[in-house]
Amino acid sequence: MKQQQLSAGFADPVHEAQAAFRAVLEALSRPGQCMALGRSVPGPGLGPAMAHLLLALTDDDTPVWWQQPGSAADWLRFHTGASVATAPAQAAFAVIGEVTTMPALDAFSAGSAESPEQAATLLIEVPSLSEGPAVEWHGPGIRDMQTVCLAGLPNRFWTQWQANHAAFPQGVDIVFTCADAMLGLPRTTRVRRLEGV
Amino acid sequence: MTNQDIHENQPARQRWLGVLSRAGRAELEQALTTLADLPPIEHVRPPEPGMVMLRGRVGGTGDAFNLGEATVTRCALRVGAGALGVGYTLGRDRRKAELVALFDALLQDETRQAWLLRELITPMQQGQSAGREATSRSAAASKVEFFTFVRGET
Repeated sequence: MKQQQLSAGFADPVHEAQAAFRAVLEALSRPGQCMALGRSVPGPGLGPAMAHLLLALTDDDTPVWWQQPGSAADWLRFHTGASVATAPAQAAFAVIGEVTTMPALDAFSAGSAESPEQAATLLIEVPSLSEGPAVEWHGPGIRDMQTVCLAGLPNRFWTQWQANHAAFPQGVDIVFTCADAMLGLPRTTRVRRLEGV
Repeated sequence: MTNQDIHENQPARQRWLGVLSRAGRAELEQALTTLADLPPIEHVRPPEPGMVMLRGRVGGTGDAFNLGEATVTRCALRVGAGALGVGYTLGRDRRKAELVALFDALLQDETRQAWLLRELITPMQQGQSAGREATSRSAAASKVEFFTFVRGET
């Protein structure tokens, strides 16, 4: 029975949703900088940052694609009414827990030339935000250069990201989460891999 | 409880949820005092007021139209490790929505269900239908017949 697994959402919906929204705005305007996000949300089996982002950002107009469908999808549907997208291309948000087996970035909606804002936002849980191979990020919101060390990303990811960035103003935006921290990678950011990576 | 059970219990649950949400808050508070040994309550969705769109059909069969919005308060909670209780009630009374959800959760517990139905739901339902009947009687007694006389123009 599904409802046995349902658990609570935000304890203080107004303020926690505002704080999460503010934090994700900050994360996407300053790419590569780690933002801490809130107390843990017991139950759905998601990291605190991921749970806060989903509760704050989704509603009944935003289909969510789950890489690993499960009780978390029911939990989100109960709290925000967000429907479950059956294919990555239909999703407004995608929840990815296993980055090595995720679909290619161009499988997600990149918006259209008339309305690039309809592109998908990917929420990707990675093992660590600071202990992976170093990569240099440049672009709007970054003074000179930002070094980011995301763990667990496959090599093909950065190749796909070049194509995603080149398609500007279309393209997906990404928020990486790890437990209670997150870091934004908007489509405007250029990425250069360092030697030996 | 399996999905099959939920399906079979649905008419009974619809009945008690209807009775509970039509009951007054004082009545529910009173009923709560008769219960002993309540397990701890976990709020899954704290009481929150919102609006629902009421839809109607002309004559019950015409095209659907939006009649207007109504304020509704809803709540979902779990008592102990039991089933999820939900409460929906017209108006902005958060405590009442909470009480409806609490009784719904308790009524899904088979050890309490028979007692609660007998001692609580059935008397409430009788009281509500008696009240409705009294209202419709007093309305019927004030019924006015209008006549239109045909003018003799021939």
